[in-house]
Amino acid sequence: MDFFQDLATTFNFILQGLWVTIGVTLVALSVGFVFGVVMAMLRVYGNAFFRALAAAYSVIVRAVPVVVIIFILFFVIARFVNLSPFWAGSLALGFASGAYQSEIFRGAFQSVPPGQMTAARAIGMSRVQAIQSIILPQAVRLALPAWGNEATLVLKDSTLVFVVGVPEILRRAQQVSARTLEPFIAFGLALLLYLALTLLTTQVLQWLERRYRLQM
Amino acid sequence: MKKQILVALLLIVALLALSACTAVQPAGQTGAAAESGKLAQIKAAGRIVVGTSADYPPYESIDADGNFVGFDMDLIRAIGEKLGVEVEIQDMPFDSLIASVQEGKIDAVIAAMQATAERDEQVDFTIPYRMTRDAFAAAPGSGLVIEKPEDAAGKSIGAQTGTVQEGWIQRNLVETGLTPADMVFSYERADQAALDVANGRIQLLLMDAEPAMELAAQTGLEILLITELTAEGGKSIAIPDGATDLKAELDRIIQELLDDGTIQRIQEANGLP
Repeated sequence: MDFFQDLATTFNFILQGLWVTIGVTLVALSVGFVFGVVMAMLRVYGNAFFRALAAAYSVIVRAVPVVVIIFILFFVIARFVNLSPFWAGSLALGFASGAYQSEIFRGAFQSVPPGQMTAARAIGMSRVQAIQSIILPQAVRLALPAWGNEATLVLKDSTLVFVVGVPEILRRAQQVSARTLEPFIAFGLALLLYLALTLLTTQVLQWLERRYRLQM
Repeated sequence: MKKQILVALLLIVALLALSACTAVQPAGQTGAAAESGKLAQIKAAGRIVVGTSADYPPYESIDADGNFVGFDMDLIRAIGEKLGVEVEIQDMPFDSLIASVQEGKIDAVIAAMQATAERDEQVDFTIPYRMTRDAFAAAPGSGLVIEKPEDAAGKSIGAQTGTVQEGWIQRNLVETGLTPADMVFSYERADQAALDVANGRIQLLLMDAEPAMELAAQTGLEILLITELTAEGGKSIAIPDGATDLKAELDRIIQELLDDGTIQRIQEANGLP
């Protein structure tokens, strides 16, 4: 009985990190989505300068470990704007994810047949209009399967934001394990939470994928 | 492709220039002015943000209700009361603490931290609020005998990353050739190291005496030696470099709490000798 009580206490304690993990993941995915789509657009449709800029972003950010980016952004950017660790960590993770997402969306943009752009231009649409209403909606759908994979990666990378002091699930587990010296229980529960989150994310994304699949 | 490389190089140069400007700042006039007004800043804000690494009982940990507890936590609250400000505690990895106080993300660090020469170059320290003793711990029935720190030579040994104890091992056992570098293990947290000793993966653990005794009580480790020889000094509160007024005020308060027995009382309340 005592064991189950301890288990429940530990679980409750770690559970408080759940919302932090979900929050960090959602913010990071959204920020990364905006960065990713914009950078991919610049990469595919931009002029020489923007193409180079977007490529440089993707190459540099993907070459650096995410935890280093979080550390640098927290200490460099946060000098000019006073961000809480939660926002600094989430935005930094989003900035990093943006580079990976830009590669996903670049592939998606490029796999929309180029004839569609020509056709859209022929019926009098501007390039921006064509991207907005013809290319982008298809590209986002095409990107969904790969994007779902990135979503689970960001969920797991959310453990990294603790370097700047955000108490997410993993840190909560560490705190319990430091107190009770039962790492198996603490990390086992953390594992279950991550598993549940990942399964949920995959299910939702698979549903979205089926719902919005392109008939080509 | 050439252009891409050019832009990438430009970005890196820009970033370096940016970090160079900001790195110069604290030493320059604006930085110094801001740091020496640290105490006024804290009083104006009505709160002091203090970083710690809450995985080190009995100094700092988090209880089942999520409260920061332990000797350091009680002490910093007592100090906050004297300062007349609220105390906000921020949990971080031990490794991130110095950088955070340097960058002004937190106002001070209280984490059973010793004022070593290396750390003193990066931040300032208050007077020590507690003297430090270290402990060598081993698995029960290991048969090891450690009568002086150097007896640890040639045994596999662990310590927490970035701690004074790890530094002592490097300087006195590894650099002197007494212990091969691949027999020294660095752990992110002390409890991981204790479990590895208990499981027989490493022979010895060198860490702060009191948390070691607490870990020993929980995991059955044997304390072989308690010594001051491996310690570099007392435990102090770290504050930003050049925050002279804050240092003066904290030193005064710590001395007062030492003199009137408050620190002694808090130590005993947390099971520290």
